Amino acid sequence: MSLKEEVLEALRDVLDPELGVNIVDLGLIYGVDINENNDVVVTMTLTTPGCPLHDSISHGIRNRLAVIDEVGKVDVNIVWDPPWDPSRMSEAAKKFLWG
Amino acid sequence: MNGVNLKTNTNIKLPLSFIIYALAALAFAVVVLFANSGELLAGEFRMPKIWMSAHVLLLGFALMTAMGAMYQLVPVTFLTPIWNQGFGYVQFAVTAVGLTVFALLLGYRTELAVYGAGVFVIGVLMFLFQMGMTLRAKKEHNVMYYFLISALTSLFLTITFGFMLVFNFAFGEVFHHVSVLLSHMTAGVAGWFTMLIMALSYKLVPMFSLSHGFSMKWSKGALSLYLMGLVALILSYWIDLAGLRQSGFLFLFFGFGCYFLDMKEILTKRMKKNLDHPFTFSIFAIINGLVIHFLAALAAFLKNDSQTFWSWLIFLYIFTWILFSIIGYLYKIMPFLWWTHKYSEKSGKEEVPLLKDLLNERLGTALFILFIFSVGGIFLSVALETGMLLFIGLGLLAFTSFLYGISVIMVLFK
Repeated sequence: MSLKEEVLEALRDVLDPELGVNIVDLGLIYGVDINENNDVVVTMTLTTPGCPLHDSISHGIRNRLAVIDEVGKVDVNIVWDPPWDPSRMSEAAKKFLWG
Repeated sequence: MNGVNLKTNTNIKLPLSFIIYALAALAFAVVVLFANSGELLAGEFRMPKIWMSAHVLLLGFALMTAMGAMYQLVPVTFLTPIWNQGFGYVQFAVTAVGLTVFALLLGYRTELAVYGAGVFVIGVLMFLFQMGMTLRAKKEHNVMYYFLISALTSLFLTITFGFMLVFNFAFGEVFHHVSVLLSHMTAGVAGWFTMLIMALSYKLVPMFSLSHGFSMKWSKGALSLYLMGLVALILSYWIDLAGLRQSGFLFLFFGFGCYFLDMKEILTKRMKKNLDHPFTFSIFAIINGLVIHFLAALAAFLKNDSQTFWSWLIFLYIFTWILFSIIGYLYKIMPFLWWTHKYSEKSGKEEVPLLKDLLNERLGTALFILFIFSVGGIFLSVALETGMLLFIGLGLLAFTSFLYGISVIMVLFK
């Protein structure tokens, strides 16, 4: 498993505390960039601009990725463009929310 | 993709100070109402103790909750930090002291209430200044911004008219006492509270229902019609112009109707099937608001001027629209505040609860049903003129409010 895959898998442990769904299945992650020093930049969005849980989710990402030995510095880059869309959610997330 | 600066969080202690005061005020207000059930049954609302209870309920509970919630939600909704949080603590202290003194004097020494009101007005002006400075930093103005500016302007008018009333009690020098009273009530309940709830629910309803792709196509209609209704209605208390009052109520109904259509579309396009019960309670309040606006417009056109009818319509407006909205949203906001404070930095390090784990939702559901039964019972008791049912309804309301306050405070122990 590459480091990028390992990071993406770890991000599945970070939940949106309001919805109870992890941020990968919610389709919030737009990209994971890793440089030669293994510093990680997670580019992501939130389900709504100004979602009050942005700090909590950022903390969750930093804390979870800190557990991976190979990972250097972690930066969370939150963007609104392109905006989040429900089509980005996994089938599992849709099923969880809609039944 | 350029990242955005999201450093807009407010220290939890600021909104929490307002909310804890508000919960104590709720319990106090309903106990006073309970103790004065006889006057209420006679449709006698204009009594010092009832004034005291109404003001503790609307200012102590609803206004203080709204202020606390705004300190938390304005940064979230408008992506701009609070101008000066330190100033916020001073504003809380001035407002809380002024309000407590004002409410007690209103109930026991009405002629001296002006002195408490003076301090309270300073507190509200400080709040308006804080919000003005905060919103000034916002460069892009959307419809929610204009709703909020309208609500804050209404709050200013409410305290201006209110101060004229207590000044009148003290010195008897303000003319047009009834016009001032009606303007005060309209600007307060319809202008300030309704437009504030509308502004925030355009953000909160999509957020709590995970709605996407809605148009908000009725929002400009809601804003302009509701504002036209408010202006027409307040003018009708001062100018004797045929049809002005009826037009005012009709515009208010159409404005609220537009808001209702937007909320309906947002909920239709939601991704979360089962909504949380506290949030559903706030949605239920929107339906109540629509029905009451319709009844008010109908009664105005039928030229119904029964004081008892209008007093009870205002009672239902305050309880089943304004207070039910606030009670429902507060049950959602409190776990969020506490979770952010206690668990935010632990997220990802260890297992943390979800927001819904901080509340006893079954107890909440039971409390919301009890609120509906108690207010329904109070209303029915008047229709049937049954003193015992009113006594039971008010007792149940006091009991439910106590439990509600405790259940919200219990979040702080999880």
